[in-house]
Amino acid sequence: MSAESDRSLSRQDNARFLLCLVLSFAFLLGPPSWGEVTGSLIRRSVLVPFLYLQARAEDARTSHAVRERLTSERDSAAYAAQFLPALRLENQRLRQLLALGQRLGGGYVSAEVLHQALPTDGRTLLLSVGSRAGVQRFDPVVSPEGLIGVVLNAEPDRSVAMTWAHPEFRASAFTENGSVFGVVAPTPQTDGGEMLLQLRGVAYRDTISVGTNVMTAGLGGVYPLGIPVGQVIGLVREEAGWQRAYLLRPAASPMIASHVLILTHPVQGSLAGAFRDSTP
Amino acid sequence: MTVARAQRTRLLGVMLLLAALQFYLRPRIANPRLAPDFLLIALLVYGIRSRPGAAAVAGFAIGIITDALTPARFGAGALASTLVGYLASWGRAVFFADNLLVNAGLFAGGLWLRNLIVLLASDAGEGGFWPQLAIWSPLEAVTTAITGVLVLVLFRRWLDLRLDS
Repeated sequence: MSAESDRSLSRQDNARFLLCLVLSFAFLLGPPSWGEVTGSLIRRSVLVPFLYLQARAEDARTSHAVRERLTSERDSAAYAAQFLPALRLENQRLRQLLALGQRLGGGYVSAEVLHQALPTDGRTLLLSVGSRAGVQRFDPVVSPEGLIGVVLNAEPDRSVAMTWAHPEFRASAFTENGSVFGVVAPTPQTDGGEMLLQLRGVAYRDTISVGTNVMTAGLGGVYPLGIPVGQVIGLVREEAGWQRAYLLRPAASPMIASHVLILTHPVQGSLAGAFRDSTP
Repeated sequence: MTVARAQRTRLLGVMLLLAALQFYLRPRIANPRLAPDFLLIALLVYGIRSRPGAAAVAGFAIGIITDALTPARFGAGALASTLVGYLASWGRAVFFADNLLVNAGLFAGGLWLRNLIVLLASDAGEGGFWPQLAIWSPLEAVTTAITGVLVLVLFRRWLDLRLDS
């Protein structure tokens, strides 16, 4: 290959690389609608067969777990001791979800969570059902333990949920006894520990003791009343004479959720009873 | 069928197989944070046998796909995969040997660098940043490296790779 053609190829390489960088930065810094439209387009075209595969794989994994449990129960105690704990946990979670669905008495759609490889998986979740099943934008997403997030984008066969771990997540909330109100948001952790939430905007005159449960307040028209959000584990900060912020341990973890319920119909009254009974 | 076309067909077959594994095998692995990233393996396998420009374009395409699946910050995956694809191809041309251990390091390093760029571009905050970078990413990098080496060994003839033992 001559030096001239080699230089030409290098220029082409650099031009392609720069073009890809420019496009990436355009998506990163441009309006979020660019990403939403492009992402939706890709999910509804190129990714359709692959997401179908993934949904079947998730389905098969659960069936496989059930079969394994039955086999293990018949097998020796040693075999059971090796494999049962994880299966028990998964089956327990599925039973809790079924029980929660019965207590909710309709108005929901169950969905599988299609976890992805990027480290930001958990801030948004890809769910296996969409508008064909009645899912709409801003439908709340819950697990047996409590609030997971809200549907951000509903496509015919899939939907994307923004979880409480997303930096833009907000929900109005109050303490279990209804005495203290605030706004729940994800907290920027500095000690490298687990992802936590904050209950912000609590009036300075109000104090909340450690261990108090916090649930959605039903204000704002997105989250129904009474979905568990977390438990108070301490005070984050207080701005003198103005407001306090409390640290919450989240009730539900989007990172490990394999199945969720999407509440597709407006709920009258409080859901606190349904979730209280689903606590293991 | 010409030799070049046959090579391209075999490469496409391996890429499609890896994509299918990403969506069919990966979800079956108990902890998704430890499961190998087959799409990144596909990108690096393509990158080490292509020119940097083509690898950057492939990286951008794979990145956009991962962004569509995890749209927490659209564009972060595209940026990260573009850089990883370009650097893998460029690095291969400059100094990478045809050695399995070096390739394993390329897979592990590529995944860790991809995750670092995604976390930086997504403004993950310290709480999400350090555990991801220090614990989960290295573990995922190890499983990805082992799987990547297996892919190279199993498909070395299809991929026309020369590998030292």
